[in-house]
Amino acid sequence: MTPRLRIGLLALAGLALLPGTAAVTAGLPAFGATIAEYGARINAIAPGERHVANMVSAINFDLRGLDTLGEEFMLLAAITGTVVLLRGRRGEGITERAMRRPGRAVIPRSDAVVLACRIAGPLTALFGLYVVVHATVTPGGGFQGGVILATATLLIYLGEGYAGWRDAVRSHWLDAMEGGGALLFTFCGLVPMLFGAAFMQNILPLGTFRDLFSGGLMLVENLGVGMAVAGGFTQLFLEFMEETREADQPDEPGEETA
Amino acid sequence: MTVLPYAVAAWLFGAGLYGIATSRNFIHLVGCLGICQSATYVLLLGLGYRWGGIAPIFYNHPPGTPAVDPVMQALVLTDIVVGATLTALLLVLTIQVHKRGGSLDPETLRPMRGTGTSVTAQGSQDRTGAGSERSAS
Amino acid sequence: MTHFPVALLPLPVAIPLVVCASMLATAHLLPGRMPDILATVTALAVALLSGVIASQATEGPLVYWFGGWEPRDGVHLGIGFSVDAASGWIAAFIGLLYAVTFVFAWGFFARTHGHFQILMLLFLAAMVGFCFTRDMFNLFVWFEVMSVAVFALTAYHLEESALAGAINFTVVNSLAGFLMLGGIGLIYAQSGTLDFEGIAAAVARGGRDPVVAGAFCLVAAALMIKGAIVPFQFWLADAHTVAPSPVSAIFSGAMVSLGLFGLAKVSALVFGGSDQVHRAVPILLMGLGGATALLGGWMALLQRYLKRLLAFSTISHAGIMLTAIGALSLDGTGGMLVYIVGHGLVKGALFMIAGILLATRASVDEIALRGLGRGIGPAGIAMALAGLLLCGLPIGVLDQGTRLVQGALARGGHGVPLAAGVIGAALTGAAVLRAAGRIFLGLGSDPGDEAGAPSADEREKLNRPLWLMLGPCCVLLAADIGLPAELIEHGAPGAAASFLHRAAAGGLAEGPAWLPWLSVAGAITVAAYGLFRRSLPGFVVKPVRATQSAPTQALEALHSGLTGDYVAWLAVGVAAIAGVLAMA
Repeated sequence: MTPRLRIGLLALAGLALLPGTAAVTAGLPAFGATIAEYGARINAIAPGERHVANMVSAINFDLRGLDTLGEEFMLLAAITGTVVLLRGRRGEGITERAMRRPGRAVIPRSDAVVLACRIAGPLTALFGLYVVVHATVTPGGGFQGGVILATATLLIYLGEGYAGWRDAVRSHWLDAMEGGGALLFTFCGLVPMLFGAAFMQNILPLGTFRDLFSGGLMLVENLGVGMAVAGGFTQLFLEFMEETREADQPDEPGEETA
Repeated sequence: MTVLPYAVAAWLFGAGLYGIATSRNFIHLVGCLGICQSATYVLLLGLGYRWGGIAPIFYNHPPGTPAVDPVMQALVLTDIVVGATLTALLLVLTIQVHKRGGSLDPETLRPMRGTGTSVTAQGSQDRTGAGSERSAS
Repeated sequence: MTHFPVALLPLPVAIPLVVCASMLATAHLLPGRMPDILATVTALAVALLSGVIASQATEGPLVYWFGGWEPRDGVHLGIGFSVDAASGWIAAFIGLLYAVTFVFAWGFFARTHGHFQILMLLFLAAMVGFCFTRDMFNLFVWFEVMSVAVFALTAYHLEESALAGAINFTVVNSLAGFLMLGGIGLIYAQSGTLDFEGIAAAVARGGRDPVVAGAFCLVAAALMIKGAIVPFQFWLADAHTVAPSPVSAIFSGAMVSLGLFGLAKVSALVFGGSDQVHRAVPILLMGLGGATALLGGWMALLQRYLKRLLAFSTISHAGIMLTAIGALSLDGTGGMLVYIVGHGLVKGALFMIAGILLATRASVDEIALRGLGRGIGPAGIAMALAGLLLCGLPIGVLDQGTRLVQGALARGGHGVPLAAGVIGAALTGAAVLRAAGRIFLGLGSDPGDEAGAPSADEREKLNRPLWLMLGPCCVLLAADIGLPAELIEHGAPGAAASFLHRAAAGGLAEGPAWLPWLSVAGAITVAAYGLFRRSLPGFVVKPVRATQSAPTQALEALHSGLTGDYVAWLAVGVAAIAGVLAMA
């Protein structure tokens, strides 16, 4: 299909869809008028029943915890897939030599950068941890905090250079973190079943409203997710970063990867 | 302007589709896919909005304060994770495509057809066997 | 407090997840064959558990509320699983297919430290969750997990074709996910709930509503993209062709039909109360299904690359399943359910044969392999048998499914989709038989239009003995043929009734007994024409060649492999669905 024909087809389909889109838009509840019964009910009952202030966390880690479990494993699948594809050719070996662009000067790292990273790194990690554990009271949670934690490991790279980073961060540990976090989250679902409750039923003491220790099981779940996300994203950085290295050996032939 | 968010969502999806259909660079294509996804963010958040509602976090406001729909916010959070996973995977595929063929142009990359050659069935009596179009690396 | 059968419901999803996470956490400590063993055992456990659940669900669907959030005053607060007998059996079948596939792929992915098995088990968990859930958004989550887990597996070979196929697959299926999410947003805004029953009640109350129609349009389009229905089918031919053969076996055997299974569930249980949807669905599904059956069959016949041939055959059979859903009856649904199982078994076996050829003969190009299959005769026999089963040889599960589908279409007076299904099945069977004859008997020295079809170099590592690859393939075929017919005759009506939440009403209609023979005869004739073209008189060959070549080239050109084209067709497809809905 020529590009022109393709755009024509797309435009035609768009035109055909226009009246339908208009009808749907007109039929929807007016913007901002009201919210659905489901959400309203959750806003009404969750603070009382789960002692949590953050409704979004209450939904993600309690009422609709299964969705988040699926989401966590979606992330795990994506990162595992990324690792499989990136390692497919070069294997797991690591190399010291970076790819150099001919003609571009190599500027040594300044002391200011090193110092700034050494100060900011631990602080960032601390902040990440804070975001992870305060899921039930503030707009935080395992996903957001986990990403911040992973950022802290990137600061090691920025401050210490690639070799230092690879020394500090081991791929096996990241796998263990990622898998362990996901496992912890799944066990938060399964363990209540041992006590005769439903999957992921919140059987821990619920704690005090507006306190760090509120929401019972949600805190543990967030720790699991935070750990998995931090491990997973660092793994992602690591594998993408390894792409900037010079290959030790030429590409392996295709069938070897199979 | 009670329909504006919905119209924006539809427009974003259309714009993203147009971008994907005409893309000549995989990274651009990944971005366009992100635009299509933004349409779902706008739609969901728009549907869950209520004038004057607070964020559904009852920390500084007592429970019972009118708030927006927390379900939609939770759905969008999941949607964002979906977006992150898709972007990561597509970028990896893009890196590998670039490594293999040196090109980032979607129009030159066709499965089963070698690179850049337009192949239609010619009814030719090609009996030379598999992969005559491309040599194995 | 939940008791025995109901308390099992989360386990078929949770167990693979636990195994995945543990395998990832200990990836580098596990000895070589451990991931294979773990994965096979897990898949078997899922199959067993799902089977137990299904056998307990005969009285009515089993319902499980996650987190103990049971509905209060009619508001559904949490996520529920609702498992009827049909969903349970389908999940059990999927678990079994996985177990057999893991055996087939024994040691094949040894270098990846169990990463292959992790992705496959996630894929399995997502499929089971997709079967069991009764929540729209949860359905979307499993839909996405299914997609994300396999995007990477598709590109596993890292050849250019594999990468291109994986990108097309990823882009099109991501768009499907977004469409579905948009549809979910619309229906949530209108009904105020995400639970199937809650939505169904709101839809039934609402009367004619453009928002409900719009939501159905988007969700149906998404599921049809997964199910590879014309004009959304393009990605499948690329992705199934390039994926490693064990992955393709699952793709074709389970993933595509699961999309249609979801469509059947959603159109019956969620949107069934809308008159507009109810009127549009038969027209829509019959039309698209018939077209898909014909196009898939025709394209399959024009291929030389065996995996691509099988991919198009899957498209054709997906079309037949769609017509069965379109019948909107117990007969049709029962037929579709049986057909999913039968087709999955046969198609899985065929992809395994393709894998055997890739490993032992380093190619799956029908023309390049002409006569080279002689050393592996048993594979040839299996392939010929699978080809015959595919076109309708009247034994086994697939045949029972076919006859039920045909019975449903005949009873509903849908002659055209019925004919399309018969022709489509005959064409795909013919394609497989022709390939088998050429590869294993060395026939067909004068290829026709298939010679111009795309092909590529591909091979898979030969690291396991032939019997270990042939064994699983034969197990699948034996399961298709050997499953007692009475079991299905007794089980299918009840399963279909519980799937649709209706009362069981006696036996299901079966199509005429001569119809499968017609398919078989047609398939053998077409295959023979392809193989013995040279010996046929000119007045037979010339007109066929003259009339066939032009449409063939046009069709092949449509399947351009370009993402941009596919996206344009996707928009056209959504517009078509919307158009039919607007007319209804």
